[in-house]
Amino acid sequence: MTRTAFALQTTEKVNEPELIARVLAGDRLAGRELYDAHAPRVFRLAYRLTGDAELAREFTQDTFVRAFHRLADFRGDAAFSTWIHRITVTVVANAMRKVRRLRERETDLTDLDSAHPASGRDGARRIDPDLRERLAKAIDALPEIYRTTLIMHDLEGYTHTEIAGVLGVAEGTCKSRLSAARAQLRAALADFAKEYES
Amino acid sequence: MTDDNHDRFDELLEDAARTYNRPPDERQMPLDEIWKAVEAQAFPAARQPSRYAQWLRIAAALVIGVGIGRLSLSTAVGRATTTRVAVIDTTSATATPTPVAVVPLPAQPLDPATSRYLGQAAALLIALPSETSAGRPDQPFMKRANELLLTTRLLLDSQSGSDPALRNLLDDLELVLVQVVRLEKERDRSRRTELELIQQALDQRDVIPRLRTAASEYAADD
Repeated sequence: MTRTAFALQTTEKVNEPELIARVLAGDRLAGRELYDAHAPRVFRLAYRLTGDAELAREFTQDTFVRAFHRLADFRGDAAFSTWIHRITVTVVANAMRKVRRLRERETDLTDLDSAHPASGRDGARRIDPDLRERLAKAIDALPEIYRTTLIMHDLEGYTHTEIAGVLGVAEGTCKSRLSAARAQLRAALADFAKEYES
Repeated sequence: MTDDNHDRFDELLEDAARTYNRPPDERQMPLDEIWKAVEAQAFPAARQPSRYAQWLRIAAALVIGVGIGRLSLSTAVGRATTTRVAVIDTTSATATPTPVAVVPLPAQPLDPATSRYLGQAAALLIALPSETSAGRPDQPFMKRANELLLTTRLLLDSQSGSDPALRNLLDDLELVLVQVVRLEKERDRSRRTELELIQQALDQRDVIPRLRTAASEYAADD
């Protein structure tokens, strides 16, 4: 399966322990450097999890504010990227519980479809918009732990090791959650089985 | 489930990766705006001066330097036409006046009104970075900038404008004040463009090389 690869390791271009030490000493520029190295992926993940630009922005901000305030607690046992993604997932999960007035999906799927046609790529068949909509709703309806795992793995390309680090679970747990998430999606799309069997 | 069925489900997930809550491209993410908010909360006391503020400080330093030079000149008897002046380094927290430059000055002192005007301009430019970092400068501030711009232009057209050193300074000051006054009307994005223009204009007028030359002359003189 081709996935959008945004592995956590790709962010480790700078000497982060040194950067972190500088941030702890109050160096704002080091803070910006650390932010630049991780903010795009944090924003992406927040956006994937919320589907809302304003919320993604708010949660990205909250993630980094918390991270900088608690930076002294970061011991370096895990990579900084793992740590900051863990904060992101926590921030989003907590906030979304409150936000939870799950709005109707407003994504203009037609536009997305025309911008990124699914047909004609490596022989892939065109995805029925109804089926796509149904899948989106099924992903929305997944239990949060399954949904986060599925989004990180299948949509954002994180590895099981990375997800396990971010969520603080064993890799095996991560794999079984992904498996359960997919099973639920298949079940939700059972009505469309003929569609994607044809 | 057949293999084909399995492939088809994977295809659906691939499609979801392209369409489900699809994030914008990195270039379209509001990362700078988010950083500003993060910075304000995580580094409240350590807000660095922007490049723009640094340019304004340079202009302010020029004004203060010449102003103080004028004052010292007015009390000096038989001094040479080059006077050591104090340039305030406003980038430090304490803003301690440090003599760092030599600015060529004319023999005759300025009239009190011009000296007062230079002091007011210096005060305004020094206050500008904190005004802009706190948001858009307020109305009294902008009104003052407008008044000083008007005075600058009057001085350029007057007798004071015939003094080459002062005229150069007034030219630079006018340039900065025009940009400051324009800031009132600009939104954030346009404001950034304005800042670039200030930088370009000051570059073209060789403000920095002039300062460096003056500084090195001072160092050699020491």
